[in-house]
Amino acid sequence: MHIIRYTYPTARSLAPTTAFQGRSPWAGLESEIDRLFANALGEFSEPAAGNTFPVDLYEDKANTYVRAELPGVNRDAIHVEMVEDNLSIQASRTQQAGDREEAFAFSRTLSVPENVQADKVSASYENGVLTVTLPKREEAKPKKVSIAVN
Amino acid sequence: MSLVQSIVPFLARRPAPAAELGATVKPQHTLREAPDAWTLTVYLPGVTKENLEVTTEAGALSIVGRRVWQQPKDWTALYRETSSANFASTFEYDLSVDEEKIRAELKDGVLQVTLPKAAALQPRRIAVQ
Repeated sequence: MHIIRYTYPTARSLAPTTAFQGRSPWAGLESEIDRLFANALGEFSEPAAGNTFPVDLYEDKANTYVRAELPGVNRDAIHVEMVEDNLSIQASRTQQAGDREEAFAFSRTLSVPENVQADKVSASYENGVLTVTLPKREEAKPKKVSIAVN
Repeated sequence: MSLVQSIVPFLARRPAPAAELGATVKPQHTLREAPDAWTLTVYLPGVTKENLEVTTEAGALSIVGRRVWQQPKDWTALYRETSSANFASTFEYDLSVDEEKIRAELKDGVLQVTLPKAAALQPRRIAVQ
């Protein structure tokens, strides 16, 4: 007894039918595959879910820099705080969604190197990217000492 | 559309974005529908007006945003979560969009594209005689 019913392609099943109305019979399959890939790969490009945002940490000789991607945030709604060795960034975005307003709040705390002059931290916001400059303490900067060789 | 293209849809697709862009990422976006228009919000942090291209062609809206900021030579990356790749994405729409009236506005790294619906499709109240 066959549990599965086998169907063999016949001339009738292979002939173009009127059901597709000139559309490629594969059109549906194509968009379905696109959707599957978009779902599987889409997450790579999107920031992590939730109320967080991506940050980068850089340093040069004099400063440590934190760059945070915060598109569409009001400058007034960005709060940057240094608490001991932690830098906390809070921001919120409000946007019009039809006739009502939607608000999103973001916050993030990073631990930064210890050698930061907390009172000289500055921040700037441009094109949706927040850059925080954390100057290093004098003793932490690399020093050039020339030693006389006798 | 030729027979080959109808059998292998891949051949009928638009060419990939220009190679000079390098690897690209798809920006995060939201799409909202109102009775008279669709609003597409695309998040493009670090992209300025001068470095953004919004084009419509054959029923597709394509957005290419180049990042302006380059890491200075003497900066060392200690930790990175973002990518330096440029943004590129294509959104297809159908005849219900009034192509002539598409507007785009960029502010603080957020692009708002308004796609008004064609007048024939907008809800209309019909006076009953």
